[in-house]
Amino acid sequence: MRKGFIFDHNKCVNCKACSASCILENGWKVLPRNIYSYNSEAEYILPVINLSLACNHCETAYCMNGCPASAYSKDYVTGAIILDENKCIGCKYCQWNCPYDAPKYDIEKRIITKCNLCYTGLADGRQPACSSACPTGALRFDQLSEPDLCSWYLWFPDKNLKPAIEFTAADNNSPLRIIPNDRFREIANKPDIQRKNIYNEISLLIFSFLATISVSILIFSFVKGVYPLKNIFIPVLLLPGFVSLFHLGKKLRSWRSVTNLRNSPLSREIASYLGYTVVAFTMLLIPTPGLLIASLIAGLIFLVFIDNVYYYSDKRQSVILHSGQTFITALLIGSFLSGMVLPFVFIAVIKLGISAFRLYSSNLKNRYFEIRFMRIALLSVSGISLISHISYPELPVILIFLIGELLDRIIFYIDFNPMNISHMINEQLNIERDEKKRG
Amino acid sequence: MEEFVTACPRNCYSTCTFRVQVENNRIIRILPYSGNLATPEGPCIKGLSYIERTHSPDRIIHPLIRTSSGKFRESSSNEALEIISDKLGSIIEEWGSPSILWYRGSGMAGLTNDIGSAFWKALGGTTLTYGNLCWPAGLEAVRLTLGSVKHNVPWDLENARTIIIWGKNPAETNIQEIAFITRAKEKGSTIIVIDPLRTTTADKADILFCPRTGTDGALALAIAKTLIDNNLIDREFIGKYVKGFEELKQSLKITLAEAESITGIPEENIIGLAEIIGKKGPVTILPGYGLQRHHNGGQTIRSVLLLSVLTGNIGKPGSGFNYANLQSYIFDELKEPLSYYPDPEKDMPFRRTISMTKLGSDMLNTHDPVLKAAWIERGNPVLQSPDTNSVKKAFSALEFKVVVEQFMTDTASLANIILPAKDIFEQSDILGSYWSPYIQFKPKVIQSPGEVMPESEIYYNLSQRMNMNISTDLIPEPGKIRVFNLTGELISKARISNRVPTGIVMFPNGIWFNEGGGVNRLISAEETDIGFGAAFHDNRVEIERAD
Repeated sequence: MRKGFIFDHNKCVNCKACSASCILENGWKVLPRNIYSYNSEAEYILPVINLSLACNHCETAYCMNGCPASAYSKDYVTGAIILDENKCIGCKYCQWNCPYDAPKYDIEKRIITKCNLCYTGLADGRQPACSSACPTGALRFDQLSEPDLCSWYLWFPDKNLKPAIEFTAADNNSPLRIIPNDRFREIANKPDIQRKNIYNEISLLIFSFLATISVSILIFSFVKGVYPLKNIFIPVLLLPGFVSLFHLGKKLRSWRSVTNLRNSPLSREIASYLGYTVVAFTMLLIPTPGLLIASLIAGLIFLVFIDNVYYYSDKRQSVILHSGQTFITALLIGSFLSGMVLPFVFIAVIKLGISAFRLYSSNLKNRYFEIRFMRIALLSVSGISLISHISYPELPVILIFLIGELLDRIIFYIDFNPMNISHMINEQLNIERDEKKRG
Repeated sequence: MEEFVTACPRNCYSTCTFRVQVENNRIIRILPYSGNLATPEGPCIKGLSYIERTHSPDRIIHPLIRTSSGKFRESSSNEALEIISDKLGSIIEEWGSPSILWYRGSGMAGLTNDIGSAFWKALGGTTLTYGNLCWPAGLEAVRLTLGSVKHNVPWDLENARTIIIWGKNPAETNIQEIAFITRAKEKGSTIIVIDPLRTTTADKADILFCPRTGTDGALALAIAKTLIDNNLIDREFIGKYVKGFEELKQSLKITLAEAESITGIPEENIIGLAEIIGKKGPVTILPGYGLQRHHNGGQTIRSVLLLSVLTGNIGKPGSGFNYANLQSYIFDELKEPLSYYPDPEKDMPFRRTISMTKLGSDMLNTHDPVLKAAWIERGNPVLQSPDTNSVKKAFSALEFKVVVEQFMTDTASLANIILPAKDIFEQSDILGSYWSPYIQFKPKVIQSPGEVMPESEIYYNLSQRMNMNISTDLIPEPGKIRVFNLTGELISKARISNRVPTGIVMFPNGIWFNEGGGVNRLISAEETDIGFGAAFHDNRVEIERAD
C-alpha cells in the first residue's frame, strides 16, 4: 500500500508549524511547504478552508518526466520524488509542470528546492518533519486508502497525476454563521488571477521569436531559390542559443539539458535546436539545394518541438489554439517575406480569427486588450499593404509586420497559464462567490 | 546524539511536553512527546523555533556594559558583577534597599526562578510590583464564585455536547485545544465562538456571536435571565450547591431589548443561545483572558460563569468553566491569585509594592526613598506595560538599571548593564501549567554559550561579592495611519480585514520599537475592577491617514 499525506482541514488553523519544521529540518531558505487558504480574506459568505501542501510525490510525476537535466528521480522504497541539487540546471520547467506549486526556485542557490519527503528520516523510522510537527494532528503521514474513499476539493488541481495525498474532511461550501449578520462589511477580493510576469520569460521570448525568424528566412530562401545572407542568418541562428542560457540558474550545467530525450520535451527542443544549427551551418559552408531543404525541414521540426514544450505544461490548454505559436508564425512570416499572397492570406485569416476570438472571448476580457488590438491592427495593415501591392514588401511594411508578430508572441506568454493551485483556488472562489450572491 | 524529554516554560496555556535531540551541545531536532495527553502532537511553531532561538547569532551571551559614549561593550562576568555589587552597595547605603525596584516578568516559568526573592530579602527588601498584566481579574472572579480555580482535564472537552469559546482564540493561543474541539465537533458537539473579531478559531465554529467589545457581561446576564425565565436551569444542582440563587434572581433586571441595544445581538439570537446552553449539555465554556482585560472584566467573568452554574455544568464530564487550572501550582510561595495583591503587611521584607499595571506613573510617584535602580528579569516592561511613554520616562530617570535578557529588547537597550540570560534548555527546573494538571521536570540538556548563567547562579555569585549569606531555594490599504488618543500615538501600517468589524482597531502585540513600537503607547494604565489586572482592552482611539 502506498503511503502519503492525510489532511484534515477541520483541524488546520494555518499555524505554519509544518512549514517551519520543514525548513528547520532541511536548512532550506525557501519554503517547500506552504499553507494555501481557500477564502484567505475571510469573506463572510464563504467558508475558510486551509490546506497545507508541499510535494505530493505523484505517481505520474510531471516534474520528473519533464526535467531536461534528469535531476529528478524516484525513491522506490518510499515513493518519494527527489531532486538532486547537483544536477538541477535552474531552468524552472518543473514549476510549469507541477500544478501544486511544489518546486520552489531558490534565488540565492539558483536552483529548485523541493520537498524530499524527509526520505532519509523515513528510512530511520521517523515521520516527515512537517506531519510530525503538526500540533493539532491535521497533517499526518500514513497509508493512503483507496482513491474512491477520498473526498477532493473542487479546486484541487489534477487528481489524474495520482498525488500521494488524501483529505479526510469533506469539501464544504457552507459559510460560518455570524450573529448579527451585518457586523462585517463585504470586501471584494482584489482581481485575483495572478499572471506570470512576462519579464520573467524575456529570454524565452527572444529565443523562440528569433528561432521563428531564422526558419522564416529559410522558407524565403527556399521559395526564392537563393541561399540566406550569412551576416543576417548567422546571428539569427546563433543568438537564440546564447540568449536561452540566461534563462538558466546554472549556466555551466547547461550541457545536462539534453540528458532526458526520452521523456522531456525541453530536452528534445534543445537537441533539435543543436541539430538544426549543425545542418544549417553545413548548408552555409556547402550551399547545395539538398542541404537547404534539409535545413528547412530541421528548422520546422525544431519549431514543432518548441511548441510542444508549452503543450506539455499546459494541462488546462490555455494556449492549445493560439496564433502566437512558432510553427504557424514561421509559415506566415516566410510567406509574407517571399510575397506568396495566397498562402499568406490563408494563414493570416486563421491567425487573425484566433486572435479576434481571444480578444472577445469573455474570460479574457480586459486582459491586455490594447496589445491584442494592436497585434490585429498591425497584421491587418501590413497584410493589406502586401495584397494591394501584390509585390515584394517594402522595409517599413516588413517592420510593421514583424512587430505585429512579436506582439503575438508576447500575447502567447501572457496567455500561457499552466495549471496552478493558487489560480484554481481563486477561480473556484470567484465561481462560488457569484453563485452565493445570485442565490 | 542524545534525546531528552523536556517541557516549554513560556507563559502559555499548553506547557507542551516535547522531545529534544542534542548533538555536540546543539539542539538539532524538536519532536512531539505523546505521553502528555494534553499536547500529544507536540509544540506550536514558537516551540519549534527554539532550535533557532537558542543558537541565534543575535543572542546576548556575554555581559554588556554601557560606556560613557552610550554604547554597549562586552565584558566578563567578573567585571559586570563587580560593578553591580559596588553600585547596588552604594545606592543601598545612600538611599536604602527599597530604592531598588525588582521587576520580574513571566517569560520563563519554573521553581528556581523564585530564587531571586531570597536574595532581595536578604538584601533588606526592595520595591516590588503587585498585580499582573494578564489574567488576575478573571482569576479572582472564578475564586470568588467557585472557591478555587480549577477545571476538568483538557481532553475532557471531547465529552462536551456544546462548547462555547468566549473571548478566546485557541487557534493562536492554545493550539493543542483545537484537536479536542475538533474531536468534539466530529462527535456532534455544537461549537460557538463569542468574540468581537472573526478569529481563526471562529473559522472552525458553527456560529460566531459578535457582541460589541466590552459588552459580554450584558450578554451573559441576558442569557442567565432567559435561562431562569424559561426554566432551563438545573434546579437540583442549584438546590444542592448554590448559595444566593434567589438574590441573583431578584437582581437580574436586564431585559432582552436592553441586552440587544447594548450588545448588538438580536433578542431572538440571545434566546437561541440560552436554549442551546440550557438544553444541549454538557456544556463547557472556554473563556479567554481577553474579555477580562476591561474595567468591568472581573464582573464580566463572574456573569459568564453564572451560565455554567445555573445549568449545573460544573464538575461533570464534558462540562465546566475552563478559565484556568491551578491544580499544578503547588509550589507557589503564595497562592494565586492572592499573590497579585498589594502586600498587606508593611513590615515584611518587601517593604513597598507598586502597581504592575500603572508601572510608569507609580515609579515616578514613588518617594521616600525615590527609586534609584531597577533589576529586570524575564520581562520587557518598557514594551509590555500600559502607557509606554511614562514607563520609558520612569526607567530613563533611574540612575542604574540591570536587565537580565537573551536579546536586545527595548527594555534591555535602556540598561546600564545587561546580563545574558539562560535559554529554556540550559537549566533544570520544575514547571506547572495553568491548563493541564501536569507537573513537569524540565532537564538541562545543553551547556550555556558564552558567559550565560541562570538567575540562580547570578544571585549566588552576587551574594558572594556582597558578603551576604543566603540559602538557595477607512483607509485605503496598504496605507499608514496615525492612531492616537490622550495617552499617546503611534504610526502604523493599516490593513482592512474581514476579520475585524467596523469600529474596531485590532493591534497585534509584540512589536518592538525598532519595528515601529507597540500598542501600549496608547493604553492608559488602568486596572480591572477586581484582581489588579490591566484593562488593556478598554481603549478608545482616533485614527487618521498618515501617508
